[in-house]
Amino acid sequence: MKKRLTLIALLFLPVIAMAQKKAEVRFQTDGVCGMCEKRIETALLAIDGVWTADWDRESHETYVVFNPKKVKELALHQAVAAVGHDTPQVKAKDEDYAKVHACCKYRNEDVTKSHH
Amino acid sequence: MYRLRYFALLFPFTLFGQVDTTLYSRLQIEEVVIYEAANGLSINSKSSTLQVNISRTELRKAACCNLSESFETNPSIDVAFTDAVTGTKQIQLFGLAGKYAQIQVEMTPLVRGLLSNSGLNFIPGSWVHSIQLTKGIGSVNNGFESMTGQINVELLKPEDLVEAAEAPGAEGRGDIQLNAYLNQGGRFEVNEAYGVRINKKWMLSSLGHFSGRQQATDINGDGFMDNPLGYQVNGMLRARYFGQNGWEGIYTFHALEDVKEGGQIARAFAPGTNTESLWSSAMKQGRVAFTSKMGWVNPDNPNQSVGTIFQLYSHQMKGSMGSDLPATLHSQWGGAQNGGLAQILFQHGWGTLSQTSSVLFLRDQYDLSITHPMLGQGQPWVEQGVGLSSEWTWSPLPSFTAVGGVRYDLHSIAGHQFSPRFHLRWAPGEKHTFRFNAGRGFRMALPLLEEWGRLASQRTVEWFQYGQVLGGDILSLETARNFGFSYQWSFLLNYMTGSLQADAHLTQFSKAIIHDYWTPGVRAIYPTQTQFGSERPVMTSATWGASLFYHVDKRTELRIAYRFQDLQAMYVMPNPIGGGYGRMLSVPFVAPHRMMAHLSREFKGDWTLDATLQRYSKQPIPGIDPWAWPSVDYAPAFALLNAQIRKDFAHGDLYLGLENVLNIRQAHPIDGAMDPQTGSPLLPSDPYFQSNFDATRIWGPIFGRMVYLGTNIVL
Repeated sequence: MKKRLTLIALLFLPVIAMAQKKAEVRFQTDGVCGMCEKRIETALLAIDGVWTADWDRESHETYVVFNPKKVKELALHQAVAAVGHDTPQVKAKDEDYAKVHACCKYRNEDVTKSHH
Repeated sequence: MYRLRYFALLFPFTLFGQVDTTLYSRLQIEEVVIYEAANGLSINSKSSTLQVNISRTELRKAACCNLSESFETNPSIDVAFTDAVTGTKQIQLFGLAGKYAQIQVEMTPLVRGLLSNSGLNFIPGSWVHSIQLTKGIGSVNNGFESMTGQINVELLKPEDLVEAAEAPGAEGRGDIQLNAYLNQGGRFEVNEAYGVRINKKWMLSSLGHFSGRQQATDINGDGFMDNPLGYQVNGMLRARYFGQNGWEGIYTFHALEDVKEGGQIARAFAPGTNTESLWSSAMKQGRVAFTSKMGWVNPDNPNQSVGTIFQLYSHQMKGSMGSDLPATLHSQWGGAQNGGLAQILFQHGWGTLSQTSSVLFLRDQYDLSITHPMLGQGQPWVEQGVGLSSEWTWSPLPSFTAVGGVRYDLHSIAGHQFSPRFHLRWAPGEKHTFRFNAGRGFRMALPLLEEWGRLASQRTVEWFQYGQVLGGDILSLETARNFGFSYQWSFLLNYMTGSLQADAHLTQFSKAIIHDYWTPGVRAIYPTQTQFGSERPVMTSATWGASLFYHVDKRTELRIAYRFQDLQAMYVMPNPIGGGYGRMLSVPFVAPHRMMAHLSREFKGDWTLDATLQRYSKQPIPGIDPWAWPSVDYAPAFALLNAQIRKDFAHGDLYLGLENVLNIRQAHPIDGAMDPQTGSPLLPSDPYFQSNFDATRIWGPIFGRMVYLGTNIVL
């Protein structure tokens, strides 16, 4: 009986998860490589209320699904800028940009060219 | 991303492992990063076979200990004990013993010959980089032995260790990885992995393992220790070479010694009892192996490559079981297997069509002997052969792949063997994948010694054939064909990814070695084969199952799986007048219904919780009614719940787990060990012990709930 209850509880987890309100947003984010992708996505996923985050290397577009009750859209831009990546709303501070790895220096033309 | 997979299917597929990206990492470093960020358990939808990749992330979820235990979070594989005294765990695929799958380490044989029984226990979990589990028959180029599927284990290579330390963002994480583990049952384990770069072309690594158990436990009070005492020392040295002009190589030296001693504990008996002739088991195994793999990719045309595999090994075992009283079945056996293999692979691709062909020589020199009250045999023999294989892959569209392969073996014992194999993959749209496979495989059994744990019994061993029970003749040949079909649906629900997978497989044996326990007190071993003019297989495994993987949210992963397996074999009903009738019966120790649920959740502050619930249905086991044939009992259904909590740090992790949370135990795993009236342990001199002792009717855990603690440290 205990086992069955556990199984039923497991089956209902997705239903509880779906009950939350969600909003989608897409914005350009500067970056170059897979390391950048991981850095951007990790920063966004660490925020409470962010459901899923994906940065596309081809289009440089960040796609975020989030709960607007828990997190404001601007906070998403701030989080990305805080790890050193520019967005249309928030430009990364120079000291944060300085922390990104040498191969991710998207403001340097030589670096962006070497990734194409 | 697509390019990577396409490329990864070419050269490294046959030589350096299916998911090996080392060659490619020289060309496109970033994409490798993405590839490795894959899930713990993932199915490559581009592969023509139904292949599940089990990554290191996944292996951390079931944090103990060796390869046989690595499958505890995997719905396709069952882990079972062979007996209640030697502590050996074996895996089952489609209900069939692991020996019918082809189990390899980096594409070289592992669980074969003398290692069939305990080979999996010789690969420590913390050495493993990843495991590729293929359900359904494997590639012809990897050998003739894949009958139900294929399991390939990729170990940590020098570059895995060196590059992890050199990678940007490693921030002081070094190239020494340490692991330590301790459990309530007294088992401890320490593992080491170290890699160093010598120069631009060469890297070296060492993998070390020491484990053991010094403290005997007897939870159920039957006088027998729950797990054998002993130790294992295991080490591997590896050298990796990346040259110019497309050359690469890896050279591995592996040595191990494993000693296990189990049986009755003197202190379980009343003081003053004569404990000179207690029942005991002992096993000592050693192995030395050297493997060299070299490959060359044409730098002008990466669709052309050549690879060579060369391996030499020597494996020794010496074991005994029983008490020194004449009335008990005391057996002693020993053996050596010295052999090697050499293989050359050629690969060529022309756009949508590619082929891989191989020439393989293998040779095994066996020298086995056994003394047992019913059997006394000893013989040396040589098993050798040459195999030619060719596999053609045609992929006119990204959504369609057809693979056809043929294999011809000229084998010193099995003679001419022809093994065709066929794989088809069709993926209409991105979300749906259908696969079909069919093929044939064969293997050479060592009828008695590949299941030596089952000698822990007073059952008389009957081998009423003119052949050799130790193997080495045509009667030990087992052949099977396998058909499989699967469907995979990848979906996005509530913004999160998930997949549903269903598959059905049929394995039919035309020749098989049957272990017959249906007469109490007797273990009969005999080869059977499909009669001439009949199409009826002598052993069949029909199985289907479905599993659902879903990311409930960004921190929670859920897996639910169900599997039905029906395993039947032709058993010969003894006839007092002579001869016998064949009857298809369910094979014991296979639960027809299996369910699994797995939940994994990450918490803030780098905490992770993993819980796995497995349910085994009622299963047939050999019975004790002497007047019935078959004498069948049923083991009750039971569930196992394992849970583990882990805290990650910058330089490693710490994990604490609970195995068998529900504290399920088989109350009397050893028949005849206890007095039926008083419940006190019996000596082997007791007539009740002598007529009933049997440690092979084991279906469930012996130890019950168990706490363990472990840590990984990167220096």
